[in-house]
Amino acid sequence: MNGSHLPSWCLSCRLLCSASDQTASVSSQSSLRLSPVLSLHSLSDMGFTESQAGQLFDSVSRLKGASAAKHVLSTLTVLFVLGLNPTSVQKLIDKCPELCMVKETQLQQRIQHLRKLGLVEGSLQRTVVHYPKILTVPVKSVKNVVQFLREKCQFTTQQVTEILRDSPAVVLEDLDQLEYKFQYVYFRMGIKQAEMVKCRLFRFTMEDVRCRHVFLERRGLYQTPDKKGQTTIINPKLDSILNVDQHTFIVDVAQASAEEYDVFQKLLAREWKEEELEHGSIEADSDEEEDDEGEEPDGKSGYKKKKKR
Amino acid sequence: MALFLETSTVLLRRIKDIRPLTAKRHRVKGKWATTLPKHPPTRLALQHFDATYSAQLGDLWPSVRVALLSERKYGALLNNFCHSPDLEELQAQGSAPLRLHQAGLWPLAAVNKAPQGETIWSEFWSIMPDKFGLLSYYLMDAASVLPSLALDVQANHTVLDLCAAPGGKALALLQTQSARFLCLNDSSVSRTSRLKRVLHSYAPKELLTDDKLRITSVDGTMWGEIERNSFDRVLVDVPCTTDRHSLMEDDNNMFSRSRVGERRSLPRLQAELLLAGIIAACPGGEVLYSTCTLCPSQNLGVVERAVQLAEENHGIRLQVVSLRPLVRMFQNTFHFAPDLHLGEMVVPHLAANFGPIYMCKIRRLA
Repeated sequence: MNGSHLPSWCLSCRLLCSASDQTASVSSQSSLRLSPVLSLHSLSDMGFTESQAGQLFDSVSRLKGASAAKHVLSTLTVLFVLGLNPTSVQKLIDKCPELCMVKETQLQQRIQHLRKLGLVEGSLQRTVVHYPKILTVPVKSVKNVVQFLREKCQFTTQQVTEILRDSPAVVLEDLDQLEYKFQYVYFRMGIKQAEMVKCRLFRFTMEDVRCRHVFLERRGLYQTPDKKGQTTIINPKLDSILNVDQHTFIVDVAQASAEEYDVFQKLLAREWKEEELEHGSIEADSDEEEDDEGEEPDGKSGYKKKKKR
Repeated sequence: MALFLETSTVLLRRIKDIRPLTAKRHRVKGKWATTLPKHPPTRLALQHFDATYSAQLGDLWPSVRVALLSERKYGALLNNFCHSPDLEELQAQGSAPLRLHQAGLWPLAAVNKAPQGETIWSEFWSIMPDKFGLLSYYLMDAASVLPSLALDVQANHTVLDLCAAPGGKALALLQTQSARFLCLNDSSVSRTSRLKRVLHSYAPKELLTDDKLRITSVDGTMWGEIERNSFDRVLVDVPCTTDRHSLMEDDNNMFSRSRVGERRSLPRLQAELLLAGIIAACPGGEVLYSTCTLCPSQNLGVVERAVQLAEENHGIRLQVVSLRPLVRMFQNTFHFAPDLHLGEMVVPHLAANFGPIYMCKIRRLA
């Protein structure tokens, strides 16, 4: 999808750059004349086919409240100006109709902010199409996440851009969970930021990461590196742990049987449940904690280790 | 009683974190640098096992390792002397009764249905004393009944259990009611009293009379000086490194720094105990040696050494008895180690997380 799309992107960009002026004027006219009422006719004017217009109509009407769809036309305009073709716009609205509730200025601001964060033309569009929800998130929360990634996790600006591009869902994740995941991979698995970004760590859930890692660790195939980053065995790469399907992981990486992993997942889920009962929900280390230091030397339960500054 | 103990530890574990209950001025802050041992015994044990077992078990070791480090499974030894729930009822609750013998006199162990976790004690039915004050089941590693079964006690046999506490295997023996006379011994007085409590909460008084049962507390290695050539069956379930415990609990751990000497001398102690058991058996009698470790020097090594000592020093000839029939009977329930040249071993596996248990049976010829 990625590779083949690029040239067509450029093409549609060029086409729509000229077209967008028209659509903008059309929509401003239509919004003047037809007021906020959305008609199939106006949609087909914008270049949607009849069936696309119908589907679009359906997804918008799924929103509750009469005022909800107030910004449909402006949203569509913004998306067209961004350089998306009617097909992807229709798909996008279908995926995330909430986008029609966002004001035009806010949308513009958010897109502008993403550009500022380093998402270049092309990857910006791909990110938006892949994860339209990112435009429903206020600039302020995106800023928060970015600041968190930069300061708490010490990713470089370049790396933050890559994270946003490859796993835009981070903007909606709970920061505590995010920090826990980062610290788990950083300290327990001994993996540096660059590798995390390369393996698209933030695409995976904490459960997935931990289950696969603990399985390997208990089988004696993964060791936490010591202070100097040394281990007595060669750890498998993060890439080969996460970016493979379950069968490949079990057979090639863990050298186990599917039955074993199946049982193990269930056992581990229970262990976590008990752990949460004991410690409250999982939480990453805060810098100004008072009384939680180091009760589990092996870090088997609740990740608690101080990050060196 | 043992069960009550277990219950209470579970309860304790639930409120292990007592910090919220302590007033702030009394709270003690654990210090990473000073409070915690640098190398906790559990980790030392793991390192030790990694070094020895990976060579011994080869490809099997990762599977065994992950099973040992994960939650174990329990079995409930049903008390025949107590009115216990019907088997159908058990099955409905998700336990698979493990019929240990067709005759019905044998103990029944209910093993919770295969893999998936439904294993901890609370998930068996609740334990309540019946009107005679007897408890309905004893919770133990299901593989621990195997040594008692392998002993193959016949009617009118006299049986000696040289290291009987805490009493699981002894209880399994008692359940069969076939032994004419049961002699239970353990070197530690406190453990013996615990054994007594267990027996009294599981068996009716008629079976615990002096002519049927004797409980002693002497050093097992000295048994040969007390009674020789007198028992038809001898169970020698020796103290060992208890692999599972060593990996999971720092308390009372064989691998703690202070017990290095004790651990090193284990094989010698085990051989002495087995030798004492051999001497106590009558000619034609059978001795069963069992441990709960995978370590070959505490298993095969000890048997070989004791057999050699018996021949050299006491002129006793011995013959190894095959446990194959027993293994065939239970191969669907437990994972047995393949091709062991002496004895049989249950190895833990995630789908059947029991053991480890090593067993070897020898018959005294003369």
